[in-house]
Amino acid sequence: MSDQATALKPPTPPPTSVVDERLADVSLLTKLLRRPELGALMAAAVIGIFFAVTTDDFGTLDGAANWTDVASTLGIPAVAVALLMIGGEFDLSAGVMTGTSGLFMGVMATEVGMNMWLAIVLTLIAAGAVGFINGYMVVRTKLPSFIVTLATFFVLQGVNLGVTKAITGSVRVAGLSDVSGYDSAFKIFGGSFSTYDYRVSVLWWAAITILATWILARTRVGNWIFGVGGDAVAARNVGVPVPRVKIGLFMGTAMAAALVGIMIALRLSSVQASQGVGDEFNYIIAAVVGGCLLTGGFGSAIGASVGALIIGMAFIGIQFSGWNTDWRFLFLGVILLLAVLVNNFVRRSAEGARK
Amino acid sequence: MNGKAEAAGSAGRAPMDNAPLLEVEGVSKYFGNVIALKDVSTSVQAGEVTCVLGDNGAGKSTFIKILSGVHKEDEGQIRMNGERVSFSSPRAAKEVGIATVFQDLATVPLMSIWRNFFLGSEPTVGAGPLRRIDVPAAKRTMREELKKMGIDVRDPDQPVGTLSGGERQAVAIARAIHFGAKVLILDEPTSALGVKQSGIVLRYIVQARERGVGVIFISHNPHHAHPVGDRFVILNRGKLQGSWKRGEITRDELVQMMAGGAELDQLTHELQRELSKTE
Amino acid sequence: MRRVLHYVVAALLVLGMAVLVAACGDDDDGDSSSKNKDNVNLTQGRDLTIAVITHGEGDTFWAVAKKGAEQGGKDMGVEVKYSESANDPQKHAQLIDSAVTEKVDGIATSVPNADALRDPLKKAVDAGIPIVTLNSGQNDSAALGAITHVGQDESVAGEAAGKRLAESAGGGKLVCVVHEQGNTGLEERCAGAKKGFGGEVENVQVKGVNDIATSTTELQSKLQSDKDVSAVLTLNPDIAVAARDAVQGGSSDAKLATFDLSGDVVKAVKAGEIEFAVDQQQYLQGYLPVVFLTLYDENNNTVGGGQPVLTGPGFVDKSNAAQVEKLAEEGTR
Repeated sequence: MSDQATALKPPTPPPTSVVDERLADVSLLTKLLRRPELGALMAAAVIGIFFAVTTDDFGTLDGAANWTDVASTLGIPAVAVALLMIGGEFDLSAGVMTGTSGLFMGVMATEVGMNMWLAIVLTLIAAGAVGFINGYMVVRTKLPSFIVTLATFFVLQGVNLGVTKAITGSVRVAGLSDVSGYDSAFKIFGGSFSTYDYRVSVLWWAAITILATWILARTRVGNWIFGVGGDAVAARNVGVPVPRVKIGLFMGTAMAAALVGIMIALRLSSVQASQGVGDEFNYIIAAVVGGCLLTGGFGSAIGASVGALIIGMAFIGIQFSGWNTDWRFLFLGVILLLAVLVNNFVRRSAEGARK
Repeated sequence: MNGKAEAAGSAGRAPMDNAPLLEVEGVSKYFGNVIALKDVSTSVQAGEVTCVLGDNGAGKSTFIKILSGVHKEDEGQIRMNGERVSFSSPRAAKEVGIATVFQDLATVPLMSIWRNFFLGSEPTVGAGPLRRIDVPAAKRTMREELKKMGIDVRDPDQPVGTLSGGERQAVAIARAIHFGAKVLILDEPTSALGVKQSGIVLRYIVQARERGVGVIFISHNPHHAHPVGDRFVILNRGKLQGSWKRGEITRDELVQMMAGGAELDQLTHELQRELSKTE
Repeated sequence: MRRVLHYVVAALLVLGMAVLVAACGDDDDGDSSSKNKDNVNLTQGRDLTIAVITHGEGDTFWAVAKKGAEQGGKDMGVEVKYSESANDPQKHAQLIDSAVTEKVDGIATSVPNADALRDPLKKAVDAGIPIVTLNSGQNDSAALGAITHVGQDESVAGEAAGKRLAESAGGGKLVCVVHEQGNTGLEERCAGAKKGFGGEVENVQVKGVNDIATSTTELQSKLQSDKDVSAVLTLNPDIAVAARDAVQGGSSDAKLATFDLSGDVVKAVKAGEIEFAVDQQQYLQGYLPVVFLTLYDENNNTVGGGQPVLTGPGFVDKSNAAQVEKLAEEGTR
């Protein structure tokens, strides 16, 4: 080849655009199958139908009040944890945070004498601060968030017990129902409605799921979350403010946990120092069952809620079935494993269908 | 930056201005005791391709990082349209019109094509808390822009990871041009690709040039660089080894210069001697 | 590849089903070995369901209560549904709510936290379901609407234990080992022990029954660092064994006593490693509420005359350990 050859001839202009009808190639069915939540929904349907058929009470409105109750206090933090997981990070302190916030609110209300509503607002602000610290440390030290939030977990666990004991002399903060503002706060956060006693937390759960889904699917921040989780360096290089997104996500999980802590404290009119320890894994499980990748960059808020729903249904379903509770955790484990497998299977088929 | 609909430059080749679009003069960079770059100078005009060549370790990646705003130069100047510029972050470089496409960090595989295309610059509609991404507009614009590169995207929701390496580069390049890149820096775009895919990417580079963008094409492969370059610059151990215009250097000369021609001759001699000994 | 996945899913489903069937079958444990006294297997099954809900977490103490409840069900010919909340007050409330949804014929529940259970128990009462409280919450029982309480008066028992330990240790300092957070009953025991012991008493928190190894280490460190400790009082049989190991491991002279029995505890009492065990006979705490609720459902009988039905304190020491040992090993004492 002679190197006197001119530069590559500019290619012929691209062909006139192919007819738009080709977009129909991607059928609605494939679009549905591709969604991360679909597998979880199918698993939830299977489990729900199974228990509805094999027990008397599971499929009733009354029974549904029970399993939505369990699902809702799991689902609210699970959605926030899912968003964080999509953004590529973990928060192991979310569980114990429910205890810390409940205790904080309780102490403010009973020992400091604050009005319940003021205590609630302060609790949410304090939780935001903890979330900020979590996020800032992760971003600054570049350590895995697993480690950083594990440290936070231990700190909070110690604080929960130590401070409670120092202030109240026992391992519990009680007497919330005597505080001014309790009744109205209880109605909004901790109470129930309808003859079947559906908990108010279910409404909050639904609202938060909708909000989170809207953020992920329709806002710029949602796009940034996917980008940061999928490839943080690429995202940074196109101008996404990665540290801000991550810190925001950590504040989200802390505040969601605080909301649940507030709800539980108001419902039970007391808070135990050991509240919430161990729940952090349930949030992660719910998110993973719902289709979130542990490695980040993929998932959905609805999926996490479905995951929480599955856990709630399994817990109450096992209860109604009267199975020997010694085996309860085995059942829970098997059900969750099946849910993840079904989810995976459906997603693989969907991806195969595209080709 | 929000999504702009117009392309950066004119449709055809810009007339040969004497004033370069981007000029690098006497730039040096030190990392502790290590001299990563020493007194490097080059330039790129609108509608032209400047190839920056060099073997691994020559300083190409440091050079790119300075131009894209990741690092700050320790000595020397960078000028855009004659005016001195200094970057505090990649975002600053982007705002001036310098877009960088890194080899392995171009796109997020799990995200769809349109989301990748608009990442960081999503078009919005509505105000306040209801401000949301204008999804139909985004998908439409993305399809149009990629069509200009010769790619027909049937399914904008397709994850980028399912595209071939060359197609992914095209998405990144189309994105950069769409968002008003005046200077496009491509970091080893063909290095991980096979022969056919490399050819396709070279075509995209030419497309970009046709649209009036100034392209800096970084590579360690002179066979790829030679056909598309208007200007050639070779870096060796952080220093400028030479600078040529198109026509002033042949491809073989380019190859020889890069490999340290004399050393390669010596090596060939020694190898031949070894082989003849054993016969 | 898809084929393989199919098989894996199918296999897991089969495995899951098999486990379920096996576990469901296990409800009736074939416990009759210890019950050669009264094998009148009830001819008439009464069509009643009693929910027994405790705050246990699968530990030895509650396993005995569970056995008592199940045997009570067999003897009375009623279905007993036993569940545990693992010391989570919200779960406990939700379990009571589920029982109300299932319209059970009676609820027997422990009350570690009266505030948390007030609302769900009120719902049960409003739904016409009779309640018997057991094990904890003696002081709140009537206010919560229960027809009676079955358990041990923790303050009284604590005081008795403290006094006995003061005698055998001859003064000094008592460490009261708290293994569960937020349980008023345990707090009452330590408070009672403090009264009865007369000397310095310190409450020490340990990890709990789910992590015996750590609990043992925590106790051993305490004994080694604090030479004033002359007596240790634990509140759970698993923790008692941990304390025994800690005392031996730390070469301490402290006298050890515990609340509640298990096979290991009784052996240790026989061997002189533990001075005595305060037995609240939790088997009765599972058994009697089932009986009382059945009698209430059928005949509107109430037991106790407004007073709690006390199942303790009984003392197991070297004098009677041998007799109790066999029963403890079978899990009914």
